Amino acid sequence: MSLRIMPKSALKAWIQRLQQRSFRIVGPKALHGRYVFADITDPDELAIDYPTTLSAPKQFLLPPREVLFSFNADTMDMTAHIEAEPTVLFGVHTCDMHAIQLLDTVQNNGFADQHYRARRDALYLVSIECLKPCSAQCFCKDMETYSITETYDVHLADMGDAYAVRVGSDKGEELLAGFTNIWEGADSDQQRLNEVMSQKWQNFEFRLDATLSQLPEVLGAAMHSAHWDELGDICLACGACTQVCPTCYCFDVTDEVDLTLTHGVRLRAWDSCQIEKFAVVAGNHNFRSQLGRRQRHRFMRKGKYQYEAYGKMGCVGCGRCGTTCPVAITCIKTFNHLTQESAERQAAVEVKA
Amino acid sequence: MITLLKETLSRQSIYMPTPARIAAMTPLTASETLFRVELPSGFHLHHRPGQFVELSVLGVGEAPISICSAPTRSNGSFELCVRAVGKLTNAVHKLPPGAKVGIRGPFGRSFPVERFYGRDILFVAGGLGLAPLRSLIDEVMDHRGMFDRVILLVGARTPRDLLFPDDLARWTARDDIEVHITVERPTEEWVSNVGVITTLFNKIDYQGRNMVATVVGPPVMYKFVLPDLLAHGLADSDIWMSFERQMKCGVGKCGHCQMHHIYTCQSGPIFSYQEVKNLQEAFA
Amino acid sequence: MTTRPRPKVAFFDFTSCEGCQLTVVDLLQDHPELLDAVEIVEFREAMSEKLPLDERYTIAFVEGSCTRASDEARLKSIRERADFLIALGACADLGGVNTIRNVMPLQEVREYVYGDKADWYETYPARPIKAVVKVDAAIPGCPIDRNEFAKAVTHLLQGRLPNLPDYPLCIECKALGTVCMYQRGQACLGPVTRAGCGAICPAVGYGCEGCRGFVPSPNLASMREVMREAGVGDEEIESRLRIFLTYQMMKLEGVTS
Repeated sequence: MSLRIMPKSALKAWIQRLQQRSFRIVGPKALHGRYVFADITDPDELAIDYPTTLSAPKQFLLPPREVLFSFNADTMDMTAHIEAEPTVLFGVHTCDMHAIQLLDTVQNNGFADQHYRARRDALYLVSIECLKPCSAQCFCKDMETYSITETYDVHLADMGDAYAVRVGSDKGEELLAGFTNIWEGADSDQQRLNEVMSQKWQNFEFRLDATLSQLPEVLGAAMHSAHWDELGDICLACGACTQVCPTCYCFDVTDEVDLTLTHGVRLRAWDSCQIEKFAVVAGNHNFRSQLGRRQRHRFMRKGKYQYEAYGKMGCVGCGRCGTTCPVAITCIKTFNHLTQESAERQAAVEVKA
Repeated sequence: MITLLKETLSRQSIYMPTPARIAAMTPLTASETLFRVELPSGFHLHHRPGQFVELSVLGVGEAPISICSAPTRSNGSFELCVRAVGKLTNAVHKLPPGAKVGIRGPFGRSFPVERFYGRDILFVAGGLGLAPLRSLIDEVMDHRGMFDRVILLVGARTPRDLLFPDDLARWTARDDIEVHITVERPTEEWVSNVGVITTLFNKIDYQGRNMVATVVGPPVMYKFVLPDLLAHGLADSDIWMSFERQMKCGVGKCGHCQMHHIYTCQSGPIFSYQEVKNLQEAFA
Repeated sequence: MTTRPRPKVAFFDFTSCEGCQLTVVDLLQDHPELLDAVEIVEFREAMSEKLPLDERYTIAFVEGSCTRASDEARLKSIRERADFLIALGACADLGGVNTIRNVMPLQEVREYVYGDKADWYETYPARPIKAVVKVDAAIPGCPIDRNEFAKAVTHLLQGRLPNLPDYPLCIECKALGTVCMYQRGQACLGPVTRAGCGAICPAVGYGCEGCRGFVPSPNLASMREVMREAGVGDEEIESRLRIFLTYQMMKLEGVTS
């Protein structure tokens, strides 16, 4: 894939051009001293050098609340709401690109979700190379998500005064079509990029005590760990962790009707496995009534279950859940605690033997 | 004929049901009613025993309900046994006959009936568990020559809670199926067995038989029934169960029915004991 | 459209600011179809007619808390005549701000409010209406959310009880993209408070005060710790938990008033 070069000063013109071409532009911008993904109307708002956002870009694929179809309850007429607007998502970090790859797998698996697929088809991903860790809670080096997936349409790498641009798809070419302030990179540019990349690796540290391939096993052995109840004691069951997680996609479905009880919509909204009623069945049996069990389920999904079901880790090491948790339950602390427990169990077995 | 699943998949949204009609409602107990659901002409449910559909009342919601009529008895219309316990199930009970409902499915994995050919079959049904099993029992009885001995054990709280009295009488009247029924709290008129369902195991002789068991009941029942079956020498892979989980979307997306890495609505609700015995969340 | 019988709906108030009923009046301005769906038979704030005594209310909405012994007879007679009795707003649902006084000696409160006329006025510890009669459902909040009220009416028209969210405000804040109050250095009861208000207070920069009541099984020990970590003093934590939630807190702590 050939390398192209775009001066940093041209980014604004590129965005304006895309806006003129009626693309919706979304990217990181500042809010109350933090960063969120939001609509960019003025290209100057785009904070592409952002550390990390509070919540994940999944909201542009799976909105927090979405009408699935509208209906007339008397006639049983139904109309699906498949809504998608060509949207360019700017500045996606590589961990979030990995998360989108998992969402793609899940939503296209078996019965493909048409609502997701329409939005995904209309979503153009402009990712950016992370050159240093973005938060106190991130551990992307451990999760092997600090380099890019194949999912990008356009990928940018910051080389000081210019971006090294790689185009990964026809959609990427479509974004750059007719834009002239970009040119083929020379050998010297490739060399500069290689230097930037070789410096990058040492900026990241391993923060987990287990390797990626050990994690499912560590968690599997921790099924009966007392640590889950320790987490359950402090957990508020607020569900913030799952809401900000780039790979959490669980939802609830409800109907709303007007006062004539005739016209209405069926909609889905983000749900959370941390909420007490999430795993209740008819007859009121709750398969996860204890908070500790619900935390266990969440961490198992992140480090084991999703990997077993889809071949991809449910955790991409973005650290958002740890940043948002009011009681500071974090992935790093939890995974390391369980790894420690696992080592101690192992040692005890060896002593006995 | 178009299968309902093909129709469900061809709709613009996988979450949008196909309109159907309540053709008949037969109250079975104080809280359970049998609904005969009629699909639009030209449609066929084409299900297998153990599968479920998502039943909708537009404006109220949707819930997974197991299909309780056998494939052999579901031409153009099929039956659902619904217990009024939640938002949707209560609403369905209040519908007038002829009312329109929505159906998606059939979803999920069925009982592997062909693997039961030539063998004894033991049905163990606790409470509402008789509903999904009824589909399988009639499927077996309608192909009776394919199986060896057939035994049905049914448990209910009181005689009034016994589901499908007509079917129980129909099966009892046959000499090619052994039927044992027990209730936990008898009424004065009750002349049959009293006790929890495991007390029925003494009534049958199945040690050393080439037997498969299909067990469906409330979550707590499995804990008591499984040890009995295992003690009688049944292999882990010959015990089949239907799991109850909140299969909200039916298509492996909403996450509510997830049990470890398994989506019950996709890999289940029918599982063999062998498949789930190491999953801590399977039984509690 | 099928024609459905119009249920007879009545509104009643006890000790309250009547803000919840005002919200309903306000809702009627832009949802006049509500009047096609129900027949309002009593509503002191909007009309003077009353339902003949031998007729029943399909739905009785009650705003306000019980604050004196004589409230009970009136509330019980409303209950007897109503198929559905719905608590409207924080005062009826939780006891609300009226219960703040419950932690103080009643005589002191009376003297503080009524001075030397204290003995002229009847009063007792304030309580939610469910402490007096069976309540079928509640529409929480101070005041109620007009959309939630409309939605609750559709549920009642369908012959079922209104469904309240059983999750906390955090779910709504995250969906809206609101920056957490704790990340802005302010205290908030959102993690233990029932959602459904659209998390409007945090959205405009105020921490939640819990007017919609607790979620099922709130982890209060942990909530207090979170506020402490955020630099909120113990006294302030307790007063925050007692703006709307005094009655619930006293119940949880086993104090009977």
